[in-house]
Amino acid sequence: MSSYQPGSVETKPYVDPTPLPDGIPKVQELGVTSGPLKSAAFFIGAYCKEFNEDFMLCKAENREPGHCLKEGRKVTRCATDLITKMRENCLSQFEAHWNCLENNNQEYYLCRKPERSLNSCMFEKLGLTKTIPGTPDGQKPIHEVENPIYKAIQK
Amino acid sequence: MPPAGGFEGIKYRRNIAGTRFSALTILGAVAVISGIGFYRYGQGILERRELQREKVWSRIHLVPLLMAEGDRDAYRRQQAAVEREKVIMKDVKGWEAGKSVYNNPKYASPQFVVL
Repeated sequence: MSSYQPGSVETKPYVDPTPLPDGIPKVQELGVTSGPLKSAAFFIGAYCKEFNEDFMLCKAENREPGHCLKEGRKVTRCATDLITKMRENCLSQFEAHWNCLENNNQEYYLCRKPERSLNSCMFEKLGLTKTIPGTPDGQKPIHEVENPIYKAIQK
Repeated sequence: MPPAGGFEGIKYRRNIAGTRFSALTILGAVAVISGIGFYRYGQGILERRELQREKVWSRIHLVPLLMAEGDRDAYRRQQAAVEREKVIMKDVKGWEAGKSVYNNPKYASPQFVVL
């Protein structure tokens, strides 16, 4: 009774090892975790706008996973390209910002200082700006407000 | 007997709180302080709205990327499932592997997924 009994259920989830069919070109997955993705989100939106919109229009046509593989590969390649460029040009600012996000519950408003240095570096080196669509006219976008009401309580 | 000239008067004094500020001044000060507070509160609500918009747009920008990755994986697993089905059902005549159970061309995500 007290001897070891192997469980009838695997503790590891079964992962289907079958690779993609040969007819589909392979693409390296981005493999970036949530912090860097959140840090780079607006630049991905600016840099890959065409590919992203193309992909989403394709998805609106048909939700089948096989329908938009080509557009999806373009999206992933573009994002990979951007992340590589960011790492080449603004590595220290990028790392400072996403580390800050990881330490602050991934809230943008707690990381404005590293964000501003990253934004200015991205603008100087790659010409990309962070724009938040839908900001009311004549109002400063929230990431450029100098003295916001919501900020870190601890200095 | 009382002393000559009578008793001294009893010594007492009322300690009334000073009326340094008039009632109207105090009311006015409270109104001003509350007003400033309410104004800041309102500004905070507007700011929170903008912060929410920023967060939502950061997610919107990532949707195509994450969806593309998920689609590739879903497609791979779907193809593998169809291949398995072909092998399992090879002896059944007229069986179409991977055919939808619905008479509807619209895509329906599978109910059973091998992860």
